[in-house]
Amino acid sequence: MRAKFLLLPLEAMVVFAGPAFATVYLTIEQAQSVLFPNATFQPRTITLTEEQVKSIERASGVHVLNKQIRVWRVSTGGWFIADEVVGKHEFIPFAVGLDDQGAVKGVEILEYREAYGDQIRNPNWRQQFVGRQPGARLRLEKDIRNISGATLSCKHVTDGVTRLLATYEIVLKQSGR
Amino acid sequence: MKSFSNNPVVERAQPWLGTLVSIRVEGLPASLAHRAIDAAFAEVATVHRLMSFHQEDSDISRLNRHAGCKPVAVHPHTFEVLRWALRFSSCSKGCFDVSVGAELVDWKFLPRPSGGTCEPGGSWRDIKLRSDGSVVFHRSLWIDLGGIAKGYAVDRASEILNSWGARRSVVNAGGDIRVNGQKAERIALDAGSPTNTLPVLELSDCSVASSTGRRHRRLHHGRLLGPHVDGITRCPAPTARFVCVVAKSCVVADSLTKVVMADGEKSREVLRRFGASAHLYDSQVGWRYLAGESNQP
Repeated sequence: MRAKFLLLPLEAMVVFAGPAFATVYLTIEQAQSVLFPNATFQPRTITLTEEQVKSIERASGVHVLNKQIRVWRVSTGGWFIADEVVGKHEFIPFAVGLDDQGAVKGVEILEYREAYGDQIRNPNWRQQFVGRQPGARLRLEKDIRNISGATLSCKHVTDGVTRLLATYEIVLKQSGR
Repeated sequence: MKSFSNNPVVERAQPWLGTLVSIRVEGLPASLAHRAIDAAFAEVATVHRLMSFHQEDSDISRLNRHAGCKPVAVHPHTFEVLRWALRFSSCSKGCFDVSVGAELVDWKFLPRPSGGTCEPGGSWRDIKLRSDGSVVFHRSLWIDLGGIAKGYAVDRASEILNSWGARRSVVNAGGDIRVNGQKAERIALDAGSPTNTLPVLELSDCSVASSTGRRHRRLHHGRLLGPHVDGITRCPAPTARFVCVVAKSCVVADSLTKVVMADGEKSREVLRRFGASAHLYDSQVGWRYLAGESNQP
């Protein structure tokens, strides 16, 4: 057991002014093989009609942001859906595996872009460090991948799953096997 | 990213325990790493299902409905977490108390449970763990494991990754983090401290958990309340304070943040009992360190 507390001067860091600090967990292909090992995947893009959107919103109580849904029919049965939800500041892409009965087999976050504190998430705050590369000792994004104290709510993700379950009931279940 | 053993670093995240749980494994071939992570997430999911205050069929909901009238059989995980909870309560003289569910319901941090009531004046002393693995309350209580279950889940996940032979792993449940392995992991602390520096912990082979009332405080009948309750006074802990506790196990780190939140510098003795240490921040005093790393359990 070893623990060392440091107060790092931020001027010494290189902070990249990208749209967000992202942790990439899985690609879509990796998530597919994690949720459905040894299966093959048939992609389908489904565009929801206005009526379907309304039904999904009514059934799930969750707003439908995107009418296009990216689904894959799984050779071993079930569906793989790639979707995203709006987090506190950024989009959070995630994947859901549904079995042949439409029950959730698993949920995998593909990418998370809100891993740092409010101050660091703020683009204006980040902007002040752009270009300060000389003498850099630490690259925030690369060296610090975890944060303690910023309780991350996953409510938006669970809402997203609820919405996709309603999407299954209203659209995918009928659209065939 | 490559690890020291040429095996890939595999990291995944799933939503559990009301937060994002991420698991990173190094030192295993990818396929084995994924199976280890699957097993670790399955354990986190089990803890989630057993200890949720919100789900009506969880052990906690069943205890809150029936344990005031008769013994209720619970899963060994729930029993173990309650055993830890009572130990923390006893050592902190009741500052840590899982029976504060009633206050959290009153202050609208938790939903009112359906069925079952809560008698006033109850405390951790009313919780009885029976030798047959069941639990009974001497009076009706609403217990909430929100201050301890995440830490326990992180420990369980971490132990599973060890059993799969992971040479290094990092499990993070919403900021309750356990690092296994000698290579230090840098963890930023979101303490609300001045913006010209970033507080960072470098951890190896231990855990950290943090608490702050800053993010979740709310007005209730004209009072600013945070989600942390001092079990002795039944009043909210100071909301402007940030606390992080470092300990070998995450269940200790998670639980003791609540004691340090409420008791501040007075919690040194409890920290020492559990081989933990704490860093506190508030805007008036700045950073403080409370050491107590001897007698590690």
